[in-house]
Amino acid sequence: MHEDMRALLNAYLDGQLRGTRLMEMKVHLAGCEACRNELRELRLVSDLLQAAPDPEFMPAGRFASNLALTLPRRSMRDLPPKPGSLAWWLVPAGILAAWYIIQAVFTLTSAVSAAQVTGLLGQAARWLNGGQETIWFAAVSSLFGSQGGAAQPALSLLNTPSVTGVNLLDGFLWQALIVLLYWVWLSIWWFWRRPRPMKMESAM
Amino acid sequence: MAHPQIVDDENALIEQAQHGDRNAFGELVSRYYPGVVRVVYRLCGERGLAEDMAQEAFLRGWLALPSFHPQSSLRNWLYRIAVNATLDVLRRKSEDTLEDEAAQMYPDQAAGPEATLIEKERVALLQQAMHALPDAARSVLVLREYGGLSYQEIASVLDVPIGTVMSRLNYARNRLRELLDGKLLQLENEYA
Repeated sequence: MHEDMRALLNAYLDGQLRGTRLMEMKVHLAGCEACRNELRELRLVSDLLQAAPDPEFMPAGRFASNLALTLPRRSMRDLPPKPGSLAWWLVPAGILAAWYIIQAVFTLTSAVSAAQVTGLLGQAARWLNGGQETIWFAAVSSLFGSQGGAAQPALSLLNTPSVTGVNLLDGFLWQALIVLLYWVWLSIWWFWRRPRPMKMESAM
Repeated sequence: MAHPQIVDDENALIEQAQHGDRNAFGELVSRYYPGVVRVVYRLCGERGLAEDMAQEAFLRGWLALPSFHPQSSLRNWLYRIAVNATLDVLRRKSEDTLEDEAAQMYPDQAAGPEATLIEKERVALLQQAMHALPDAARSVLVLREYGGLSYQEIASVLDVPIGTVMSRLNYARNRLRELLDGKLLQLENEYA
């Protein structure tokens, strides 16, 4: 107990003890002459240090003026990022991620539709309406009738990748357009918000 | 605790300085130079070197300012830079080049010649005792006695646990007590 309290004498002297510790120290000091003596000596050392005079340093104003002459120019690359600026640049990534999720769902749906058309799923995916057709498939179907004869399965097989390809191209174009519009808007915003040259630097 | 308006004002100055405004940085320098140079002086014991180290610290601060987080304490950040820069120099410097500047310090001139002499020698003894301490212990002592930092702030500035701050401070004050006890008594007796 005594050694524990002794180790905390400096903290007590510096006002760094709080709550229970502080109370324990006060109680201990009231009953421990050795610790009271040590505390007194520590306080003397502290007072001696505090009382040591400082030399006359260069005045702050003159120091700051001298320092200003030696400060190197900082490049704009060193500027700190604006709070939240990272979020702005992450927005396109977020949009793309959302778009890719939609595309993944769409592609999966197309694959299931294709499987249904080719009969791979049998009646298991009857709920799907595999009605997507390319223009050429619609034209061929209208010429030969919806039942299509013996060529119908082969035509369906050709139709499915075409539908998927058109859909993917369509999706890609939409993504590119959205990203392009966003970057144009961001560039305009950045151009108007960029820091102006500093007066001091332009004067030097 | 700092007044909110002063804090806002300082945050504005920091932001301006971060964007290259030298006038704003000069204002910050004027605010923190007295504390920084005092701490550095107590670490190295030379007025000229202390001013050079303060300049070095503010120069480094200017270059590193863009990476400074305004939520932190600028004072403590500058202390950290200054202490590290000074300790680097002291490590490179041999002991015999440390001038005994204590003799050049300015005791109370209104006191009599004998009192002035005692004061000078007292200060010289104190400086010697301070420099007999290891750098790590002296840094903690100086930040506490002359920087006025709390234990938590010292731990943050020196990047050590708070328990280490307490043990180093215990060591430093007890060692000073031992070093000064006999010598100061001897000094008092000589002039008695």
